[in-house]
Amino acid sequence: MGNKIIVPFGSQHVALPEPVSFLFETQNEVITDVTVNIGYVHRGIEKAAITKFEYTQLPYLVARVCGLCSITHAGAYTHGIEKLLGIETNKKIDYLRMLVVELDRIHSHMLANGHVAEVVGYENLFMQTFRYREDVMDILERITGNRVQYDYQIIGGVARDIDSETVKFAKEKLLTLKANTEKLIEFFENDYTFGLKTKGVGTISKEMAEKFNAAGPIARASGLATDARAEYDYLPFEEVGYKLQTRSEGDVWARNMVRFDEIMNSIEMCLNILEGIPEGEHKVKVKGRPDGETFVRVEAPRGECFYYLKGNKTKVLDRVRIRVPTYANIPVLKELFVGEKYSDAQAIVLSFDPCMSCTAR
Amino acid sequence: MIQMFIESLKNLVSKPETVKYPFAPSPEPKGYRGTILYNEELCIFCDKCENICPPGAIKFEVVDIESGKKQYNYNPYLCIYCGACVDACPKADEGCLTQAEVRTPVMGESVVKNPKLGYFINGVENPKDVEKKWRELEIRAAKSREDLAAYKKAKRAAAKAAKAKASK
Repeated sequence: MGNKIIVPFGSQHVALPEPVSFLFETQNEVITDVTVNIGYVHRGIEKAAITKFEYTQLPYLVARVCGLCSITHAGAYTHGIEKLLGIETNKKIDYLRMLVVELDRIHSHMLANGHVAEVVGYENLFMQTFRYREDVMDILERITGNRVQYDYQIIGGVARDIDSETVKFAKEKLLTLKANTEKLIEFFENDYTFGLKTKGVGTISKEMAEKFNAAGPIARASGLATDARAEYDYLPFEEVGYKLQTRSEGDVWARNMVRFDEIMNSIEMCLNILEGIPEGEHKVKVKGRPDGETFVRVEAPRGECFYYLKGNKTKVLDRVRIRVPTYANIPVLKELFVGEKYSDAQAIVLSFDPCMSCTAR
Repeated sequence: MIQMFIESLKNLVSKPETVKYPFAPSPEPKGYRGTILYNEELCIFCDKCENICPPGAIKFEVVDIESGKKQYNYNPYLCIYCGACVDACPKADEGCLTQAEVRTPVMGESVVKNPKLGYFINGVENPKDVEKKWRELEIRAAKSREDLAAYKKAKRAAAKAAKAKASK
């Protein structure tokens, strides 16, 4: 038996896109204990939301919780506030919202898979994945007017309408993306060396996922059928061909593949939406002040995102509570490390696709 | 293996995916959310844009208390270009507040100048002063609002007193 050595991983590390710190206690390169610190990017957004900003400004504030799932945050908030104000949206608004939510999911999943490829030693695969990801970024930029901060969902509708030229542009790009993703999937699925680094590494069993209440692709890769899109009724996903994707292996590879399955499903959904966008106004009139309390569950790319809102008939809300998927996945991540090799730690962390700006807010 | 060889050859001759910015221009895509432009002649001074602006980059300052005349001030370096003001503007369709499809030039050695950007930015020469002067303006604008409210209250009280006197 060797000596116990504590190896720090983060808060600054080449493999980490965002600051999170792990202190691994290792013995002969096998992790025996781990300490996690997640509070590096705390910005006090929840407090700001109930002191400095009015409820009409909040979609723009909560969109800045996270750069990757800004659409999800703004969407969850607007859905909640519309529930409080009693606003009925029409079908066109629902469809346009669904379109951007799914495009957001595609680019977030591609980013996650690219990062996993990078840390297991496939720099070129990472570059290829990101190159293909540009297509979906272009579509989002064209639809919403910006590349990262979309500010598309506003209270009572969406910020701008979609024209036929954009629909045509998006369809073409999506078809290219579909062909490119199939190429990627073939590689991820069949490559022998890639499999050595990812198959059987960091396996979460179904029981473990259930016990620690894992969310999103992490739970679905272990065979746990949980998806807020199917469980909570906020947008008509079933109408456009949504299917729940699960894998049973529960390792790093399965988490990647479940993401790819979802990308393919999302592309299918986006094409269906673009095929038949209903007629109607893209905005409805908003009146009144929010009163009472409500909660919203939406499916962010990383799992279930939860919003709790409480209004008091004034312009400033009483409480805005955000619970994000990465926070829900930290306990299972911590448990998972014990008994794994230190060299696999990077791949395990990145396969969880941790989003620290969401978690610390 | 053969597939890989073909792919490599293809990549060798194909065009690069990136643009050579800053040596080559990187144009904005169609429908880009750029600078907010303002037309004073069409403005009805409803303050809706000021109230919704999340970072507070639009401020109306009362310059003449007696007539209640307001001036539009906009800080393009504080703006987050979300377009909420244009959505809120009741005269946006007529062109009072519009969002251009080009981005604001970055603050280098000079401050951007355009009569459509409002009073604040056209009155600042040195880029280093922008932040300080904007902070001063924020305090000044808030105070001018209070002064206007106090003036209106006093005017109402005077009118009430005059009315009471007349009825006696």
